[in-house]
Amino acid sequence: MKRKKFIFFLLLPTLLLISFIILYPTISGVMLSFKNYSLYNFQNIEWIGFENFKVIFFSDPFYINTIWNTLEWVLFSVFFQLILGFILALLMKEPFKGRGIYAGLVFYPWAISGFAIGLIWSWLLNGQFGVINDILIKIGIIEENISFLSDPSLAMFSVILVNVWYGIPFFAIMILAALQSVPDSLYDAAEIDGAGYFTKLFNITIPYIKPTLINTILLRTIWVMNFPDIIYGMTRGGPAGSTEILAVKMINTVFYESDYSKAAAHGVVIISILFIYTIMYLKLTSKREFSL
Amino acid sequence: MKKLLVLMCVLMVGLFVFSEEVITLNLIEAFSSPYRTPTLNNIIQMFETLNPGVKINVISPPYETAYQKINLMVSTEQPLDIVEIGDWDLSALAAMGKLEDLTPYIDSWPEKDDMVEGVLEAASIYQGIPYLLPHGIFVKALFYRPDILARYGIESYPKTMPELYEISKKLTESGKNQYGFAFRGKGYPTAFIDIVLTSFFDDIDPNNMYLTKSGEIIFENPRAVEALNFYVSLYKDTAPKDSINWGWDEQVNSFVSGITPLLFQDPDTTGMLNEMLQPGQYKTAPLPLGTSGKVYPTFGFVGWGIPTYSEHKDLAWKFIKFVASAEINGYWSKSYGALPVLQSVYTYDPYFSSDLFEGWTKMFDDPEHYQFTEYPLDNENWGKWNEFQEKTMQQVLLGKLSVENCLKQWTDFWKDTGIK
Repeated sequence: MKRKKFIFFLLLPTLLLISFIILYPTISGVMLSFKNYSLYNFQNIEWIGFENFKVIFFSDPFYINTIWNTLEWVLFSVFFQLILGFILALLMKEPFKGRGIYAGLVFYPWAISGFAIGLIWSWLLNGQFGVINDILIKIGIIEENISFLSDPSLAMFSVILVNVWYGIPFFAIMILAALQSVPDSLYDAAEIDGAGYFTKLFNITIPYIKPTLINTILLRTIWVMNFPDIIYGMTRGGPAGSTEILAVKMINTVFYESDYSKAAAHGVVIISILFIYTIMYLKLTSKREFSL
Repeated sequence: MKKLLVLMCVLMVGLFVFSEEVITLNLIEAFSSPYRTPTLNNIIQMFETLNPGVKINVISPPYETAYQKINLMVSTEQPLDIVEIGDWDLSALAAMGKLEDLTPYIDSWPEKDDMVEGVLEAASIYQGIPYLLPHGIFVKALFYRPDILARYGIESYPKTMPELYEISKKLTESGKNQYGFAFRGKGYPTAFIDIVLTSFFDDIDPNNMYLTKSGEIIFENPRAVEALNFYVSLYKDTAPKDSINWGWDEQVNSFVSGITPLLFQDPDTTGMLNEMLQPGQYKTAPLPLGTSGKVYPTFGFVGWGIPTYSEHKDLAWKFIKFVASAEINGYWSKSYGALPVLQSVYTYDPYFSSDLFEGWTKMFDDPEHYQFTEYPLDNENWGKWNEFQEKTMQQVLLGKLSVENCLKQWTDFWKDTGIK
């Protein structure tokens, strides 16, 4: 008992710090979502119950569309980041000449701010002055400029493409680190048994690095869902809301409407979705463990 | 050693006693840009030279997030003494009750009678109180590129909306990446669509752009259907598809590169165009008249205000007064591009009566055809409207929403706000 108390007191400063920097803003944000705190209403702030949520769910004709966009954004972004990051990590695992320089080049998108990337890509993909269009025309792939960000059917594809480009390095770094911990003896034994490349990949590599994969996918899903930077820099959610995800909607609510409570309500919706997702994901993935 | 210590103490006390106290004023600007901020810094330097002991600390947030930063700083009473306020943000800021009523200061300011007529009244939109002193006026005009127009055998700028469409269509050759009109699709496109829309009316309320003189919401009038259809045609037939995603940057870039030689913009665009184009390569003209024979521009303004909690209000006013003086206002407007707020500036500096200002001069001289009106900026749904109008307008342009349905939604929006 004494030992438990001792550990508790050792952890207390950290617990207090975490409570202050995480718990307090979260609680404060949730409380805000039940008030009428907006720029026009600083004099008469009061509790208004679920009014903000009612407005969000029932008065916004674009809300269902935003939910679908968010789903599309998270699903495709994480899926392709994972697959391409995995392939990249496998390629980077084997030593080759100039690997350090190559790794630096591959990982550099991760070092730039998401908003800056959004702005840069919005110009690269610009339908009139964009370099991408110019290159595609010069090499004869297209005859007329493509409106990457103005055509609703292409806009979502374009922002996801950039997000995939941005997110591959994170998966690659995490998976590469995990790959380097797989003992060579396992591969040697498998080779003696006559296992091919894919047998080794699916029976040794993936099961061995599964905990890393699970945690990385979980983390990235949360981050991607809360990552409006690229979309904001590229399209601000347009045209006609076709690239608007929940996180962008939250910013737009603050930016255009200056309604902080309504924006907080959007935040609560995002947190709730992620909370449900995390519990379900961890339950599903914790059933099967890797065993040798 | 003792002597040295005594000497040092005397020196320290002397420095403390005789050194002049430096007062620092914190100023936040809303429209920072590489073309404007250096001018502001020059003016500040002049002020500091004339007022020893005063230092002005400039905060320049990025333009896109400036309003939010200002609103948050003022609402949380961050140390600020001078705040730049734009017309679209004035009501939101004033509603907080944290802006100083400038009436006593303005009343005792001799140059107030020299102000351009109507500006101070326009700046008093919130409860009739002047919470800011404007330092620049914005009125949209038609910018055009005579060199590009001449290449297509067009000798004059469009004088009416139908002419704007015809000329723009003539210029449009999508294969050559040549178009007519620099369309605005995002980032407050309200001001552009409304100029076109209201030009189909001849009875717009001078106090509220969205109402007719008889009090009807303009969007439920059949003329709005015709107007919005015209607007859709203007986009589809004369503007790049991509322009549905264009804000100020893209519009001006496209104008400079000649892709779209016709542009509606504010006078502050001249600051950038003067740097990027040769003299005579661009000109300004009045906004094209609508089918009604009229067009309804708005009087935009930007100015300086003082937070109620500032500890140096009188000194802040001294700076605001300095910026608004004829000499500085002339320098400021010439360098940055906004129209001066003092009448005398227009007469003493020939720059403001040059060809470059033909568009505005003609509009100001013809109140019959160019009738100034106002946005319902004091309505608390104004910010929400901008986003809603942008999205629904884009849906119409993309063919996802019918013109009639869109206008019904706009009518319902304003009815719900109880617009009067």
